[in-house]
Amino acid sequence: MELFRKTLDPVIALSAIAVLDIFLFLIVGAWTVGGGETMMTGLIAQFFLGDTIDRIPFWHEVFKPDAGYWKIYISLGMLFGAIVGAVASKEFFWRFPKRLSEWVMITVGGLLMGIGIRLAFVCNVSTFFGLTPELNLGGYLAISGILAGAWFGSLIYKRVLEGG
Amino acid sequence: MSALAECLVAFVFGSVVGLLVQRSRFCNTAALRDAMLFKTFRNTKALLVAMMILTIGFTAFISIGAGNPMRFDVGVNQILGLFLFGTGMVLAGACTVSTWVKAGEGNFGAIWALIFTFVGMFLFSLIWSYIYWPPAPSAMTGELSVERLQFGFSNAETLQEKTGIPAIFFGIIQAAVLYGLYRAIKRREAASAATT
Repeated sequence: MELFRKTLDPVIALSAIAVLDIFLFLIVGAWTVGGGETMMTGLIAQFFLGDTIDRIPFWHEVFKPDAGYWKIYISLGMLFGAIVGAVASKEFFWRFPKRLSEWVMITVGGLLMGIGIRLAFVCNVSTFFGLTPELNLGGYLAISGILAGAWFGSLIYKRVLEGG
Repeated sequence: MSALAECLVAFVFGSVVGLLVQRSRFCNTAALRDAMLFKTFRNTKALLVAMMILTIGFTAFISIGAGNPMRFDVGVNQILGLFLFGTGMVLAGACTVSTWVKAGEGNFGAIWALIFTFVGMFLFSLIWSYIYWPPAPSAMTGELSVERLQFGFSNAETLQEKTGIPAIFFGIIQAAVLYGLYRAIKRREAASAATT
């Protein structure tokens, strides 16, 4: 199948995703990832901590763990779709970061992403594919933050690249 | 719609997105990082085109009272949070979408980033439980609150209500601005191709 032999033009891929996102917006709400990831965090925390999680106000005042939260399944679907695409195009293979600096950057980067999403109440997907197209003020604030953050991150990234 | 049907719709949507992103190598991190660091715009152009389509689509439906726009108070936390997120995604080399997609390709670095995103979210849940900021959805008022650093709620729907002008009008203006950016990138690429 042609789709699995050649790389798809991202403009075509993102145009198709945008049309589907409009349908999703009509049915349940625009595409987002951070909310589903937060709910997964709550469910994982509940699994390990049991009833202790009830003593953390965030998990009953902001996000009460609920496996039936639809946003979780967007992320699981993306994982499934990516596995199908990678396996069908023979691009699935295990890769590991090689240098210690990569492990450190990924660890710090992951932590900052998690803290940032919860502090902002939004992620990059809801910023670009939800809030801003809805002309939500939060989208413009979030874009100004993410552009400044990406610029700052790029300075660090460049320094590590040059140093490594 | 039942919760089960919502989850099913979300899974089907996510599966198609995962497949298309995997096959196109689209990455939101690259859309910003590559434009800033390497002056290459492959992903940036795709992001702008998607935003144009979405802006027209969302505001057209909001104009007729359809759709499910996000409703919550916004504030300084959006700027601070996405600043941290933007820094983090460049360091991790992946955003929320590409962590899942790269994880599906067997990239352990992406799985590691995902694990620490969850850890970061849990750490913030502990911090929030002490500071109670930004306000929980139940404490949101929709109005400006200087002491809580919140600007209230405003989107295409509220613009339409306050001005009496259909949301699509504002959507067309935003789409035109995005198209202007897209054209500027295309011109820059054409000029650069002509000199090489």
